[in-house]
Amino acid sequence: MSSPELVTVTVDGREVQVPKGTGLVETALAAGIEIPVFCYEPRLGDPIGACRMCLVEVEGLPKLQAGCTMSATDGLKVRTAQTSAKAADGQSATLEFILVNHPLDCPVCDKGGECPLQDLTFRWGPGNTRMEFDKRTLEKPIPVSPTIALDRERCILCYRCTRFSEGVSEDGQLVAENRGASSVIATFDDRPYRAPFSGNVIELCPVGALTSTQYRFEGRPWEIQNVPTVCGLCPVGCNTAVTVREGKVKRVLSRNHPEVDEGWLCDKGRFGFSHLYAGDRIADPLRRVRQRGLEEVSWDDALDDAERLLRESEGRIVTALSGSETVEQAYALGRLLRSGLGAHTAVLPEETSPALDAFRLPLSAIRDAELVVVLGDEPVAERAPIVELWLKAARRNGAEVHHAGDALESCRRLSRAKDELGNRLRESDRAVLIWSSEEGAGGAHLAALARELGFPDRPGCGAFHLPRTANGRGVADAWAASDDGEGETPEKIGLLVVSGDEAAADPNVRVLAERAERVLVTSMFHGLAAGWADLVLPGTSYLERDGTYVNLEGRLQRLRRASIPPAPDELAWISRLAERFGVEVDPFPSAVFSELSAKIYDGLPFGEVGEHAPLRTRSEAPAPQLPEEPPAPKGEGLRLIRYKALFSGPAIERVPELQFQRPEPEVELSGKDAEARRIASGDTVQVSHNGHSIELRARVSRGLRPGVVRIASEHAGDLGGMVEVSA
Amino acid sequence: MPARSMLLAGADERDLTKLAEYQAIGGYAQASRARAMTSDDLIAELQGANLRGRGGAGFPMGRKASLVDRKSPKPKYLVVNADESEPGAFKDREVMARAPHRLIEGCLIAAHAIESQEVFIYIRGEYLTEYEILAKAVEQARKAEILGDVNVVVYRGAGAYICGEETALLESLEGKRGQPRPRPPFPPVQGLYMSPTEINNVCTIATLPAILELGPEGFTNIGTPGSPGTVIFSVSGNVEKPGNYELELGTSMRELLYTHAGGIAGGRQLKAVIPGGSSVPALTARQIDVPLDFDSIGAIGTFFGAASLIVVDDRCCMVQLALRSTKFYMHESCGRCTPCREGTRWVVQLLERIEAGDGTTADLELLRKVCDRIEGKSLCALGDFAVWPVQSYFDKWHDEWVAHVEQGGCPLGGESSIEGIFAPSDQHTHSPVATVPA
Repeated sequence: MSSPELVTVTVDGREVQVPKGTGLVETALAAGIEIPVFCYEPRLGDPIGACRMCLVEVEGLPKLQAGCTMSATDGLKVRTAQTSAKAADGQSATLEFILVNHPLDCPVCDKGGECPLQDLTFRWGPGNTRMEFDKRTLEKPIPVSPTIALDRERCILCYRCTRFSEGVSEDGQLVAENRGASSVIATFDDRPYRAPFSGNVIELCPVGALTSTQYRFEGRPWEIQNVPTVCGLCPVGCNTAVTVREGKVKRVLSRNHPEVDEGWLCDKGRFGFSHLYAGDRIADPLRRVRQRGLEEVSWDDALDDAERLLRESEGRIVTALSGSETVEQAYALGRLLRSGLGAHTAVLPEETSPALDAFRLPLSAIRDAELVVVLGDEPVAERAPIVELWLKAARRNGAEVHHAGDALESCRRLSRAKDELGNRLRESDRAVLIWSSEEGAGGAHLAALARELGFPDRPGCGAFHLPRTANGRGVADAWAASDDGEGETPEKIGLLVVSGDEAAADPNVRVLAERAERVLVTSMFHGLAAGWADLVLPGTSYLERDGTYVNLEGRLQRLRRASIPPAPDELAWISRLAERFGVEVDPFPSAVFSELSAKIYDGLPFGEVGEHAPLRTRSEAPAPQLPEEPPAPKGEGLRLIRYKALFSGPAIERVPELQFQRPEPEVELSGKDAEARRIASGDTVQVSHNGHSIELRARVSRGLRPGVVRIASEHAGDLGGMVEVSA
Repeated sequence: MPARSMLLAGADERDLTKLAEYQAIGGYAQASRARAMTSDDLIAELQGANLRGRGGAGFPMGRKASLVDRKSPKPKYLVVNADESEPGAFKDREVMARAPHRLIEGCLIAAHAIESQEVFIYIRGEYLTEYEILAKAVEQARKAEILGDVNVVVYRGAGAYICGEETALLESLEGKRGQPRPRPPFPPVQGLYMSPTEINNVCTIATLPAILELGPEGFTNIGTPGSPGTVIFSVSGNVEKPGNYELELGTSMRELLYTHAGGIAGGRQLKAVIPGGSSVPALTARQIDVPLDFDSIGAIGTFFGAASLIVVDDRCCMVQLALRSTKFYMHESCGRCTPCREGTRWVVQLLERIEAGDGTTADLELLRKVCDRIEGKSLCALGDFAVWPVQSYFDKWHDEWVAHVEQGGCPLGGESSIEGIFAPSDQHTHSPVATVPA
């Protein structure tokens, strides 16, 4: 690529050189001058010049110009409100007009104190009002959804929210209604704004018009702290700022990492935090007592119990990990169980192959790609929501995005020499593969495909495997690094150690538990392990932990404790317990990380993981194998794809505001399959397999290929394999 | 100067909505001639004719066509602005109703010039009859294989003033909310569906066959050097014979009003003329000895606009007229940009108070200042359109405004009439801003 042409622009007498075409707002910033804005937000696409806050005087033009819609050209001379009385009057006029009908209810407005309108009015606005008429009053607040409240009186119609809905998340649900001074933001037919990224409009709003129902009247900006951390609810690892007031988490905001999330969050990451305060949160250890069920015990007793359970099992221990533990927890647990007890067997929720390390790219590379191929039929947004936004951005940028269908089959097809799409992948300098399926050996087959297509020689081409767990890779690596020993999987399980809620909720782990003599569970919630655990130790959430996570890019990111858990965290008791088995485990994540880092992260110090963590460079990895020919699918009918819905899992089940986002009891069919069966969207249909059938609502989905149907696991019952759908 | 027909030539003698009748007077011959030329030659010819856009801005049509990025790999579009939403304007309507084939022929010429195969005619939603005539004419031309490889679509708007603004029209045509886009990029570079787009008024396009027939030189001999050709003037308000008059550019306003339109109705005195449609500054009775061409009208502080003259007699209260005008613009403000959306409503509130006799001297000052704060700061010209009339009525008939404050009401003492000015008075009733009880 050639370096862009530099042009000289003069802003308020200061000359600055910027690449040609740089936006004027950014150009002025390069000269150290702020052009104030409301509607301008480059992440929302082309500027619209609506709010008129950015008016500047441009040499040679008689009228004031909207700075946000201008870009740098050579010799451009601009005067902002700082040196031009005309521009200053223009900005003052804009603020006067905005405030004509804006209720000055700042003292009771959630936005007060962190409000761009407030800030800009103080700096540029008129000191008083000349408006003597009654201000416009409107019904408020309007529940746009259970998570978002709309105050139309405060709205300044910058159209940021509708542009997000139309041009970023592309759900098209938020619109402007009516005209002129009667314009209001609305949803079609007042239906709830039900979309996975809806909460971003709250953060985009430059006034207090769109507020979070969770955060309404919960805190003022001068009595909160924002803790920089990352989200632990999916493998993307969006960077977040967690607002805490008096030790309690009140909201989650995005913290723009341009390579990971571009400042967007999904609603699960944004609103899911309130599971911390679920009614059935466990604060004390619980011990099984015959007939009486579980009873609370002291920590001293609990540790004695745990020690006894571990000793009595005589090493016949299996550990079921969640994949949501921090790297440090997994390592510490490995030290305790593997080094202390020789219990090397762990069950991971999924495989995680290191082979993809050779094809690392930042997620933002999807947006910049020219050719993107998604392998697998699982919906990307349900596995790794932000990746869906990157895909949409790629499409808007003119990239070709293909959904290749069945992951294993398309993997084999694309690797063949004569495949047309495969050949284009071999030639492109900006191609990206995305694997969205349960199958595929944790990305190993994907890595084999990328190798086959020659990606190792092309630094602009990469591959992403979308795992199910937030830190599966980090947990697997840390567990592996915790000890060098090897051991046999016990035939009879003496003790099953269940680490965390996702493991506790996993049906496969339940099966193991039935085979085990004793079960020790770490869990946040009463409901999960009550029936089958012998000892339950209180678990913590990602919001209560310090440590590190590895996301799906392979990026090591820093988790910071936003709120103190109601009980000692995992590292604390693992450390105490390890002592009893002669193993030294530090209770502090920084020390645990240093020990581990020396082994697998090149000695990177804990303090340098960073608030905006860099992506580690590509590294050589073992050559994986392409998948073998699969057995022909058994039976006739449609192939069922069961997927874990984004809005599901133990944490989300405990967030009342998110219940409206839970997956619908429906089956998705392709248009062709629906037509062949005379099924229309909304019909009640029978989905059957081997004489067993369930009733669901049908939805005809354009994004689905013929021969495949999709159902969220929680609505799919025991169905699997090939199914038939009938009206 | 005598009346001269170009746009409406033959329409009095024949039914030009019929293809055969239009062809009988040489119709579509110029389209064939144009198609035999290269697009470069054709654009040169159009540039030589110096045809100034009839939609209001007066930008030379040939120049605009030359700016269309014909080398772009994207499709090129020709869009005809038939939204004609300016109060006082009804010239496009007459062309579409009486000489639809002339417009279609013009489309074929312009499309050839910019190498376009896609033509959209965006017609005002209320023009149902004209739509039906035009759609039928397009069908006739298609069946007669006159259109060739050009696809002409007549698309009905949904009744928004703002969709007469070219970029809002394009948004609406794309199926979006009709709101203006920032410019640049200008439509010839990036217009409909982000592709190069030529967008012209009905009368501009319908003049093209005459330009080809007369040649650039012949055409520039008509009218004035700076504004060649003829224009259909829509005359409305308090005149004896309101209607459309096609005249050479440069005809004096007095001649149009008194010779052609029959003078002021009922023998009353002329008070004001709004020369270009309701959005432009008004002229006093003493300013009407002016040639009707773009430059002469511009030189006296107003705009030629859409050649739509609204005649106001001495019964009219200028405060009341300002209120009617501003209510229209408030109602039609699209809501996109702050000054127009919020400012027009505030201006209406102030005007209502002054008109009711409850205003103060401070209100008068504030009104003028609020108008100034809207002017030149909005996203499109609608903000200016809303305040130019108010500013000019305020400045030129200032005593009337002061009298409203000092006498606590209208100096015309209830005798004021704005009947027939801008629109029948039962329309434009105040459309209240949504107010839901708290």
